[in-house]
Amino acid sequence: MSRIASIALSICGALPLAGCGPERPAGAPVLRWYVFNEPSGAFAAAASACSAAAKGAYTVSLVPLPADADQQREQLVRRLAAGDRDVDLVGMDVIWTAEFAAAGWILPFGDAEAARVEGRLAPTLESASWDGRLWAAPFTTNAQLLWYRADRVPEPPATWDDMLRQAMALGRDGTVEAQGARYEGLTVLFVSLLRSSGGRLLDDSNREVSLAPAPTERALEVLARFATSGAAPANFSNAREDDSRLAFEAGHASFMLNYTFVWPSAQRNAPEVARHMAWARWPRVSADLPSRVTLGGINVGVGAHGRHPALAFDAAVCLASADNQRMAARMGALPPTIESLYDDPAVRAQLPFADALRDTLRDAVQRPQTPLYSDVSLAIDGALHPPRAIDPPVTAARLRAAVGRALRSEGLL
Amino acid sequence: MSARTRRFEQACVSAGSALVIVYALAPVAWIVSLSLKPAADLGDGRLLPARATLDQYRAVFADPGFAAALVNSLGVASLATALSVALAAAAAYALVRLTFPGRQLLLSAALAVAMFPPVAIIGPLFDLWRVVGLYDTWPGLVLPYMTFTLPLAIWTLTAFFRQIPWELEKAARVDGATRLQAFYRVIVPLAAPGMFAAAVLVFIFAWNDFLFALSLTSTDAARTVPAVIAFFTGSSQFERPAGAIAAASVVVTAPIVVLVAVFEKRIVAGLTAGAVKG
Amino acid sequence: MSAAARDTRLAWLLCAPAVAAMLLVTAYPIAYAVWLSLFRYDLRFPEQRAFVGLANYASVLGSEVWWQAVVNTLIVTVASVSLELVLGFAFALLMHRALFGRRVLRTALLVPYGIVTVVAALAWRLAFDPTTGFVNRLLELDGDWLAERGTAFAVIVFAEVWKTTPFMALLLLAGFTLVPPELSSAARVDGATRVQTFFRVTLPLMRPAVVVALLFRTLDAFRVFDTVFVLTGGAQDTASVSIVAYRALITRLNLGLGSAVAVIVFACVVGIAALVGALFGVPYAAAGARRR
Repeated sequence: MSRIASIALSICGALPLAGCGPERPAGAPVLRWYVFNEPSGAFAAAASACSAAAKGAYTVSLVPLPADADQQREQLVRRLAAGDRDVDLVGMDVIWTAEFAAAGWILPFGDAEAARVEGRLAPTLESASWDGRLWAAPFTTNAQLLWYRADRVPEPPATWDDMLRQAMALGRDGTVEAQGARYEGLTVLFVSLLRSSGGRLLDDSNREVSLAPAPTERALEVLARFATSGAAPANFSNAREDDSRLAFEAGHASFMLNYTFVWPSAQRNAPEVARHMAWARWPRVSADLPSRVTLGGINVGVGAHGRHPALAFDAAVCLASADNQRMAARMGALPPTIESLYDDPAVRAQLPFADALRDTLRDAVQRPQTPLYSDVSLAIDGALHPPRAIDPPVTAARLRAAVGRALRSEGLL
Repeated sequence: MSARTRRFEQACVSAGSALVIVYALAPVAWIVSLSLKPAADLGDGRLLPARATLDQYRAVFADPGFAAALVNSLGVASLATALSVALAAAAAYALVRLTFPGRQLLLSAALAVAMFPPVAIIGPLFDLWRVVGLYDTWPGLVLPYMTFTLPLAIWTLTAFFRQIPWELEKAARVDGATRLQAFYRVIVPLAAPGMFAAAVLVFIFAWNDFLFALSLTSTDAARTVPAVIAFFTGSSQFERPAGAIAAASVVVTAPIVVLVAVFEKRIVAGLTAGAVKG
Repeated sequence: MSAAARDTRLAWLLCAPAVAAMLLVTAYPIAYAVWLSLFRYDLRFPEQRAFVGLANYASVLGSEVWWQAVVNTLIVTVASVSLELVLGFAFALLMHRALFGRRVLRTALLVPYGIVTVVAALAWRLAFDPTTGFVNRLLELDGDWLAERGTAFAVIVFAEVWKTTPFMALLLLAGFTLVPPELSSAARVDGATRVQTFFRVTLPLMRPAVVVALLFRTLDAFRVFDTVFVLTGGAQDTASVSIVAYRALITRLNLGLGSAVAVIVFACVVGIAALVGALFGVPYAAAGARRR
């Protein structure tokens, strides 16, 4: 777009009645889709596929957001809170649903549109729902698996206790790569441990702290034991997903808890390691409870202040369609939210771990669905960091207090 | 002092200089090294690349957003520099040459303005810019850069101007020149070095800014290089594109290195002139 | 019109553009921030907006997080500014004395000053990283610098010192040029040692330059943001006051609470400036004074 046109546009955006026409009087309305800068081009391909499918009713143009999830949210929220009319479609991280819905920044799907969002894995639908309504079309999803070195580990560990024992037995190469930096990844790790030990962070209303003492302390105990053991990497309290990947690709680790992006990356960057790389479900915390990890992914929502909400709903359904999910899996190795696609040969070729992933996703859990999620997440990171300093009963009390304060939107975090 | 101790002293000074040069340039060398490593070697922890490739640079320049960002960075920083120095020069002239009530207040207020944490300015400025249509435009960045550098520029120029022999202006006016003519013909040439130093300070500030650039732009229309680096992605959502970031960092650092290498003398002269008179 | 009135009119005319720009771009947001700090106002719950007086200030000043951030910020400020002062003197002395390679030396020193802060911080982050970095390999260490509070502070201070010592050195170099060489030679002839000469003759003459350098750097260091944000993001209890403001304003969208933090940071900075002014004289006010 030319600079002059964009200046004119922003003036028009601010003064809708000042006599500014639509920027393409003769053409179809342009729906702007704000979504993270997906590197494979799968999102851009979905946008042009839907523009073509609309047969002139609209075109979808992609507006990329920064790579970092926090920065994506900051940019979007600044626009949405200011009532920006340019935001037609929003590529939403699953943890934003409650916040965006409660603030009135996105529109709920009506029954007719919701009926067109079909065949999804139940947890992915849940991630796009809040207050009994659907607020976005689940597009791609994600969950962590346990990646391990088949050349060193004959049988993947079923539980955390197993994993730590095996890791210690392997000595120098026994490291378990996981994310313990003070950021969203630590929340993911803790909530997964908590849910796998049968606990919950918030009660059913999503308004009050749950954190029952027994499972909470059990989860904290596992986290602390791991962090202080020789199995944790030296940089555990500073490690993010990509640090784990790099360390695993360097060959120093035998286990890694991470998202599925590590598979294509290892094929490309570390074929030696990739040859021995195998996967399994996330380890259990209690032998008698399935492991339950938190869900990631992108849902497509409709901005509340956009000029063409009806068209935007149609576009959202199209962007998240089975065809586009297959394309995203093929081009960008992004796991689909439509369950049947896990049997699709094109998808399975890209995601050979499709069965383990589908199993994991069926049991996957939500990070707390509250409009105050970013506060709650900050509170969790703050209370649990650094993980090696965790003292289960003391930390549990501190965590309960911090999450409570966050839910009341009180004080600094 | 004997010739020997003097030689010894010179040797120490030279060794010290060499150390300082290493100190100053080591991180730059490190980013250059990172930017030349192939993706598979990024984790090898070597100071110098085992194998070198220009792939990262090719990738960075193949990105149309990056080329646009370079143009934006140059344009925005140059405009902000020109405006800030022009406005600051006018104000500094008044502050040095004229007695008027409110002078102290003006100086203190200017400095106070520059002390406010920029994080707190972003929100209100975003709302204001959208209402007046400056969001995601060059002027939308030029204005804050200009403003945040005005205090430093005014301050540097005020100190510099005080060293100018203003009698010459008087002499020119006796010879029949108007105040403006006297200013342009006599004073401006004398003031040029100080204005140049101020300009470099402003340019570096505008070129380096990250927070405003990220918050007040949204497309290639105005996004600058430090902001566009935040949009780089690796091969997937979670991968940090260390190589591409390093290459972009080298590209964004190069003009600064050229700038300081070419104008080293003037920058030092300007900076030091502005600093000494307390 | 009298000459004085003409002067005044011309002066304000010349200052008007600068003043107008500062009013538009900063005075308005600052006033707005002060106003917002008196409200309970969270962008996510706009309907709950209500006037709460000074409650946000009470909440901030009563918070453990805030005081922790103040301590962190003071650690970074004091450590980096004092190191910079010592190193800056050494560098300035080198620049003053160097006969060969003076130009290369100055150019090299200007590079850290000019380099993008985010880029520099990123370079250090990658350098200290245990997998990608060279520091551990070079020192044959094992362990993560940024994973422990003490070493994380060390890296933050190191990065800050690297970036800003050149600025300090240049300002101090200006101070050296203020000292007439005859004066130190004379002191040496009178039997003073080099050290005595430095402390008794050079330093007092350089005082204005030192005060200016200290003031500028202290004010900057107290608002340190980019370096901490990139290196630790505030983890390991290294959050500075600006990071706390960022979390409240930008991440949590709690404009009331966040604005209160910003206003308090502002007050601290003004306080520091006033303190330096009271202790060492007021260089910036003097900048406007007329000297005939």
